[in-house]
Amino acid sequence: MNDTIEAQPQERKWPAEGVSRVPAWIYSDPEIYARELEVFHYGKVWNYVGLDCEVPEPNTFRRSWIGERPVIITRDADGEIHVVENRCAHRGSLLCWQNSGKAKDLTCPYHHWSYSLKGDLMGLPFLRGVQGKGGMPRDFDKTKNSLTKLRVAVRGGSIWATYSDETPPLEDYLGEEILTRLDRLVSRRPLRLVGYSRQVVDSNWKLYWENSRDPYHATLMHPFLSTFGILRTDGDYHSVPLQEGRHEYTYSQYDPELRNRTSEASAQIKSIKTTLQIQDTDVVNSVVDEFNDGMMGAFQVFPTILVQQYFNCLVVRHIIPKGVGKHELVWTYFGYADDDEQVSELRLKQSNLVGPAGFVSLEDSEVLSLMQPVVEGSPHALQVLEMGGHGTEAQSTMMTETLIRAFYDFYRREMGL
Amino acid sequence: MSVEWVRVAAESDVVEGEPFASEYGENAIALYRYEGTIFAIGDICPHEDVRLSEGWLEGDRIECPLHQSCFEIRTGKVIEGGPAYEDVAAYDVRVEDGAVFVRAAG
Repeated sequence: MNDTIEAQPQERKWPAEGVSRVPAWIYSDPEIYARELEVFHYGKVWNYVGLDCEVPEPNTFRRSWIGERPVIITRDADGEIHVVENRCAHRGSLLCWQNSGKAKDLTCPYHHWSYSLKGDLMGLPFLRGVQGKGGMPRDFDKTKNSLTKLRVAVRGGSIWATYSDETPPLEDYLGEEILTRLDRLVSRRPLRLVGYSRQVVDSNWKLYWENSRDPYHATLMHPFLSTFGILRTDGDYHSVPLQEGRHEYTYSQYDPELRNRTSEASAQIKSIKTTLQIQDTDVVNSVVDEFNDGMMGAFQVFPTILVQQYFNCLVVRHIIPKGVGKHELVWTYFGYADDDEQVSELRLKQSNLVGPAGFVSLEDSEVLSLMQPVVEGSPHALQVLEMGGHGTEAQSTMMTETLIRAFYDFYRREMGL
Repeated sequence: MSVEWVRVAAESDVVEGEPFASEYGENAIALYRYEGTIFAIGDICPHEDVRLSEGWLEGDRIECPLHQSCFEIRTGKVIEGGPAYEDVAAYDVRVEDGAVFVRAAG
């Protein structure tokens, strides 16, 4: 029977309805996944890799990932930041096993090949053999056996890397709107690392990518948001696709009265649980308007991160693909070097909103992990994306899927689907 | 405080072009004869725990067998370019009655 034969990649055709439908095979086809990594992560994009406060002084390093490839962020003795593949040039073994630390060089545990923090091969054991026997040939050239070095860009306290010489300058890649929002969070004051959470989510990375572009689910699946007045369907909200759908930002004006306000709409909001109470109201009520604009929001920079500000909780969600049906989320919480005690405390308390067990975000990874086997089971089924119409324009509502449609508009062009 | 001279080798042990490994108390040292004169320097690479005298001697330089950091055998000074950043110690040397004595440099 034809139905049992998996369609070949060349037969992968996007449904005629366009981006208001998404075929489920994009979440499970290993060839599509492999092409995404080549075209996106290893192609002409800037991948977020970390924050400068993670390599706080000369001779420090921090591990990160680009697509499925492990990389190392280093700060050399002169203070310059480098990004190199965490792959020994000799036999491809994992060079650096420690997540972060201080080091003057990087030495592979396998055969002790030793590299500078710039990624240059400095030495290897028994280059000249032992007692006149063995060793490397005389023409072995250490300079041709460096670690793979990536192009690096630093903007404020954020560090980016790309494999391609053709990737446009970071500022052009991000665009004016993202730059403004990125600078607001990472360029005005020196950063301070608050901490990390990490979790493995058993779903295709795009399901998470879509989830961050989906305000529609936020007030429905996350009762915490509505109940404690962080976001509500009747509040102020804007969804803005950027750079042909690559990036996006969402924002709302923080409204301290939202929690107590009743309206015609609030009576219909099923996710408001009047029985829920919170003992420490600092998590939702105490806010220092540190950017003097009363805003809360988030933005995505394709293809790796969502940067989010909930009140005084500042966090980067780094989405790292780990195979077609799995990804890792690294949550990096940050603040500023000159934070006072009150703000430091607030950042810690409010970090409970997000992360693997966050008051708000714990539901996401659960629902996506349960969704993956369903999409794998019906690869030709179609996802429906018609909230807010069929278009890809900016909309001032939470009741829209415009950001997801805008992403797939971009995705189809890049992937030739 | 005066530092004792310690006998570390017979004079005939130390020949041109060949490191001679020895001990000065608990310290591993190596002796080199260069243009007739005997020199003594620390023998453990500051980068990783390995005896430099097992490496490659070329002229007045000893090259670490592990990662090719180079040191001047007359002074113990590290040559820039390898993964080692620190010098090794240089010792005072005295030759007397066919024996080589060293002591920590004052």
